[in-house]
Amino acid sequence: MKIITIVGARPQFIKAAVISRVIAKTPGIEEVIIHTGQHYDTNMSDIFFEEMGIPRPNYNLNVNGLGHGAMTGQMMEKIEKVLLDEKPDWVLVYGDTNSTLAGAITAKKLNIPLAHVEAGLRSFNMKMPEEVNRILTDRISDILFCPTETAVTNLLKEGFSNFGTTIEMCGDVMYDAALYYSEKRKKPSANIPDEFILATVHRAENTDDPRKLGSIFSALNNISRKIPVVIPLHPRTKIKLEQAGFNFEGSKIVFIPPTGYLEMVWMLGESRLVMTDSGGLQKEAFFFKKHCVVLREETEWTELIEDKMNFLAGSDSSKIEKTVETALTLGKTDFSKGFYGDGNAGEKIINSLLTKNINR
Amino acid sequence: MKKLFLIAGARPNFMKIAPLMHALKGHPYINPILVHTGQHYDLKMSEQFFIDLNIPAPDINLEVGSASHAVQTARIMERFEQACLEHKPDIVMVVGDVNSTAACSMVSSKLGINTIHYEAGLRSNDRSMPEEINRLVTDAISDYFFTTSIDANENLLREGVSPSKISMVGNLMIDSLVANLGKASSSSLKFTLLNKPKEVALGSDFQKSGYCVLTFHRPSNVDNFDSLSRLLSIWGEMSEKLPLIFPVHPRTYKNIQNFGLHKNIEKYPNLFFIEPLGYLQFINLVHNSMFVLTDSGGIQEETTYLNLPCLTIRPNTERPVTVWEGSNKLIKIEEIITETENIIKGNGKKGKRPKYWDGRSAGRIVKILETL
Repeated sequence: MKIITIVGARPQFIKAAVISRVIAKTPGIEEVIIHTGQHYDTNMSDIFFEEMGIPRPNYNLNVNGLGHGAMTGQMMEKIEKVLLDEKPDWVLVYGDTNSTLAGAITAKKLNIPLAHVEAGLRSFNMKMPEEVNRILTDRISDILFCPTETAVTNLLKEGFSNFGTTIEMCGDVMYDAALYYSEKRKKPSANIPDEFILATVHRAENTDDPRKLGSIFSALNNISRKIPVVIPLHPRTKIKLEQAGFNFEGSKIVFIPPTGYLEMVWMLGESRLVMTDSGGLQKEAFFFKKHCVVLREETEWTELIEDKMNFLAGSDSSKIEKTVETALTLGKTDFSKGFYGDGNAGEKIINSLLTKNINR
Repeated sequence: MKKLFLIAGARPNFMKIAPLMHALKGHPYINPILVHTGQHYDLKMSEQFFIDLNIPAPDINLEVGSASHAVQTARIMERFEQACLEHKPDIVMVVGDVNSTAACSMVSSKLGINTIHYEAGLRSNDRSMPEEINRLVTDAISDYFFTTSIDANENLLREGVSPSKISMVGNLMIDSLVANLGKASSSSLKFTLLNKPKEVALGSDFQKSGYCVLTFHRPSNVDNFDSLSRLLSIWGEMSEKLPLIFPVHPRTYKNIQNFGLHKNIEKYPNLFFIEPLGYLQFINLVHNSMFVLTDSGGIQEETTYLNLPCLTIRPNTERPVTVWEGSNKLIKIEEIITETENIIKGNGKKGKRPKYWDGRSAGRIVKILETL
């Protein structure tokens, strides 16, 4: 059985590596990895691949830095060539980026079976291009591997039980990844206080709006006076803060350079609390048994909100401060609920593809 | 003024767009802009279409030309994105199920432009057909859904689309047909054969209600030797019972020649291969025929309106209303001869016109557009 994995953004490499590690110990499966080049990132150097145990892509399509339509289009052209050469039994796509969509459409136009990992997630906000990518990819996939029961429910509401496609709740590959990397966690080289809150702010809806950005960082400043907030600062956010006239000297926030994933895993483990607008980190906080204050008005991980693991705070400074205060005073919380499966999503996915392949 | 992009890329798309262009002419606040993706490239074929349908040359031409599905979709996306950024339309309306439909709806949805799919909700439930993928993609992200039949509404509801976003408007292709049948009846039905320098004409070589029209274009039928040679011998056998007229796509005729099958045509004096026709000539040819044998989509609807028997060589159809209510029948290749004999004996399938297939769909659509 030959699987083609299509990735393009850093988190997708981490997710795909979960499956690659299972493939490596399963006889009879060949994997070919296509990197679309969507995230051209200096952090994705040799060290990234070695440290993280991620196999290197077999193809690099080098498509980046274009509008959505042009980027997706160019990826499709190049992916089609590879698919025609490699003739895979399955195409595997991850998440909700343009690479996901381009891989999905190209595979289905060639009538190649398609599996979507992280299917069924919805923000219910069609203004987000990621939402459009998710919906499109799910609609044409042959197997939909859902990370949560909520994702399964979303698909059922959209009528997927009538479509003759397969829906499987396999758990979240990122939970598999968290378990794997927690063994390899690394202390960052920057000085980290003994007790701290870990925060990240990088989403365009926050960084590109000076009013929102100012409000969020005013809250972070105030919180830092009581308990230090550590922020691995994304260069883009840094520029936006400078443009907004943020006073770096007068702030008690501990800014550190962007870190690798293994350092993030270490900080997640050691932190008191997590504050973020990132999709992935909201969930990783839970994997490492931390509460998370979400700096957005909405989230794809609704089960964590419903179960009071995470808290939506948006960008309003007083609401953020109040929410953090509440989260810090919570008693002992049971983080053992299996929202995201049992940490064996990779095995389940490969077993399912093998079974389907025989039955085809 | 509201800017409305109307997207067309392939011939059947223009037949759906034309009635809308006419209905919106001089509209006080909706400004229709015709975007031609250039998916069907043949200049001669599309120019005649514009004349026949009496529509102006496209305002925007993306000129993507022919290529593989992925490459073509890709190029349309790249160029259409530019066109949207430049012209800033308020509404984008895509029609049908071709690559242009899917590509433009993806771009417009990503840019947050109101996107309407006309002919939404059709399903063959055969995901190996690229058209079905185009339909699924387009309906997954459109904001409004204009449907041609009740089964389409049911499909969309099953897929979780809110009923408030679905409007059954009827069939624009039938609008075109109704508007043009009269004018078409005076178009010439005299053709030069492709395989020899001979002319055939209505009244001498074939008679009113006494011949069959063929349309075949599916790659599974006309792109490989085995199926093409099998079909050709069946067409030959049919042509011993009544004249057969096949306006053939140049690509298909080239296949016939490359496979060395053109010599077989010689054996059958009543098997007429002719050049592709303009719209008026084609509907006149169909209107005067006894029945149609096809593997295509739109013709199933036109024959249903005309209540002419249509034999469709496919295991499924995305237009089931033409089978339930209309004169269309899905059959297997091995059933062609028996079915032909049935029709010649006068036992061809008769049907009725589906709801709203009345030539007034464009008016219904304009009313809805005015409320958006």
